[in-house]
Amino acid sequence: MSHLLTFLSSLAGFVALAMAMSRHQREVFGKALAQPATRRWRLAGWACLLLALVVVVFREGWGLGLVLYSGHTSLAASLVLGALVVRERLRDARATPRAAASRRSA
Amino acid sequence: MIAIPSTVRRSGALLSRILAALFGGYALAALTSVATLALPMDEVQGVLTGMLLSFVVYTCAVVWVFAVRSATRAWVGLLVAAVPLVLMAWSVWSQGGAA
Amino acid sequence: MKRGKSATNPVPGIRQTMSDLHIWTGLLVGWFLYAMFLTGTVSYFKDELSQWMRPELPRQAEVPDPAVVAQLVAAKVQAISPGTSQMSLRLSDARNNSVNVFWRKPNEKGRRAFAEANFDPRSGEELSARETTGGDFFYRFHFQFHYMPAFWGRWLAGFCAMFMLVAIVSGVITHKKIFADFFTFRWGKGQRSWLDAHNALAVFGLPFHLMITYTGLVTLMAMYMPWGEREAFRTPQQRQEMSAQLSAFIQPGKPSGEAMPLASVEDMVRQAQARWGQYNVSRVTITHPGDAASRVAVTRGEASRVSMSPQYLLFEGSSGKLLEVHDSVGAAAETRGVLYALHLGRFSDAVTRWLYFLVSLAGTAMVGTGLVMWTVKRRARLPDPQRPYFGFRVVERLNIAGIAGLSVAMTVFLWSNRLLPLGMAARADWEIHVFFIAWALTLAHAMLRPARAAWVEQFYAAAVLLALLPVLNALTTDRPLWTSLLSGDWVFVGTDLMLLALAGLHALIAWRVTKHRGTAAKPRRDAAAGARDMEGARA
Repeated sequence: MSHLLTFLSSLAGFVALAMAMSRHQREVFGKALAQPATRRWRLAGWACLLLALVVVVFREGWGLGLVLYSGHTSLAASLVLGALVVRERLRDARATPRAAASRRSA
Repeated sequence: MIAIPSTVRRSGALLSRILAALFGGYALAALTSVATLALPMDEVQGVLTGMLLSFVVYTCAVVWVFAVRSATRAWVGLLVAAVPLVLMAWSVWSQGGAA
Repeated sequence: MKRGKSATNPVPGIRQTMSDLHIWTGLLVGWFLYAMFLTGTVSYFKDELSQWMRPELPRQAEVPDPAVVAQLVAAKVQAISPGTSQMSLRLSDARNNSVNVFWRKPNEKGRRAFAEANFDPRSGEELSARETTGGDFFYRFHFQFHYMPAFWGRWLAGFCAMFMLVAIVSGVITHKKIFADFFTFRWGKGQRSWLDAHNALAVFGLPFHLMITYTGLVTLMAMYMPWGEREAFRTPQQRQEMSAQLSAFIQPGKPSGEAMPLASVEDMVRQAQARWGQYNVSRVTITHPGDAASRVAVTRGEASRVSMSPQYLLFEGSSGKLLEVHDSVGAAAETRGVLYALHLGRFSDAVTRWLYFLVSLAGTAMVGTGLVMWTVKRRARLPDPQRPYFGFRVVERLNIAGIAGLSVAMTVFLWSNRLLPLGMAARADWEIHVFFIAWALTLAHAMLRPARAAWVEQFYAAAVLLALLPVLNALTTDRPLWTSLLSGDWVFVGTDLMLLALAGLHALIAWRVTKHRGTAAKPRRDAAAGARDMEGARA
């Protein structure tokens, strides 16, 4: 149970942190967000990561807790990055033929 | 005087740094592990604390050696760091001799 | 490149010097580190691998009671070797279906005095499984290599670990935008992509990599840093006091010469179980069984606590009376015990073990991408890409054998476990020889073939060998995947499936490298652009 909670909370945290970066905002929302919105994402991200830490240390103690925390955060961050890369690749793959077609028609 | 070509000087300095990092760093770490014995704690725990700390000191020493501007500075830094450690280790050595 | 920069800028900045430090420390021991990382990663499933490599030992449907097992096997060893001065039993548990025992043979000296055997926890009989080192080979190779005295191997491993620690710290200093670049990966951009991948693997696993490297040094610290110990302890008794803080190993001491039968080992283990839980007893050590001076130490298991500090009960062997309870050590010793346990990860439940495995695998990939990047970066600047200079070719070929070749060799090791004749003399040694022969062949192959072809062929070879292992297992044992699935034999199911997954991973990598060929001209241009970016970013 603490595994699942820690993992989901870290995952949410890293998603939010990614959304606080203008590069990924353009990717996902199509435009860079305004400063306050970005700040909210960042705050939410750190809050989730902190929550994950509190949960795992509270339930498993410092020794085991910190190790699990580093494991779950590593895994969550890799998954978020992987998802962003896949998303970008899919979009590129979809965009390329269309771009080629529009060039042809022009 | 014979002018030393700059490449020789540069590789000499690099070699000096590598020696400082490998052996100077190890010496500093070993010194740390002995100096820790001067701390007021149980002997067994002191030995173990010294061992645990030594690798941190070694790492910092290597980074220092390559971070500073010249090989001379690298060595001087190691020596300066060694002074308090030698003083602490000295008290251990003299005690050991007395016992 | 370094010279070129220093011509315009006589004092390179800290980021530049740290970058050089990172690159050269990394390259110098990179192949050792890669092998240490990969074999270490696999070792998180050492016990499961050992089970898979001894298919004769039946699956352990439920864990037998350690107290009963200890009594049974201790009596058996006494019968095999009457008058033994010392025996140590690693009891069976959820991950081990055999009892591993070593004991001292009476009237023999030196290394030959030690005998080792595995016993069936149910019958107490010595097992007649195939002779193999099992998962222990990768485990031992991970910190002491092979074909050299363990002493030198361990020093070499420590040297590499120290370089790793320096490479991590200098890498963090080099990579200034560590958080800004957190989720950046630029696909298909040659050198840039390699750099992004290397950074992502490094940054995501950073706490783990730091922890595993430092704790790795801690596991053998008494060997690397003996100076405090030499200074502080003058008598054997003081030294013993320290080793009592580190391990539960009890010295045999002197027998009294007065015969007195060993009391019930079962009862002694029961007392330990009452204290720590039924399945939380890992080791029973008995000195001078049958003598009045006999001692029995019952050691607590490593599961369910993050510490390797010794916790044990010491009994008088003849009466079964509890003499000493060791349940805590000093603060520094406990710190060391925790760090040690963190490195080995034996406390883990299944999820934690998989986390260890995955993050460790990411660490392996981090070292691998770092090694490959050295050549990717320099290939862009080669005056004639068809005829690279000698040093470049050496690194390139060693990379192929060190990364792709290691996968091939490790898989061949498992093949030899299934194919070498069962009655063969020194069979366990030959499994290891076959591993090194295969590895040497991959190096020869890497030197003879064009670099890209060698990469592709070796990754495909590893993929095919991995994918066929479950088939080989089905043909040579009576425990094929479908039988294991039906009987719920998760160790065999898991190993077979993992081999297939790894086969997929290797095939994917091989396929990516093949596809890369079609756009060989483009990545080179991108790589050059990437290199310019890097210079710009650094300036």
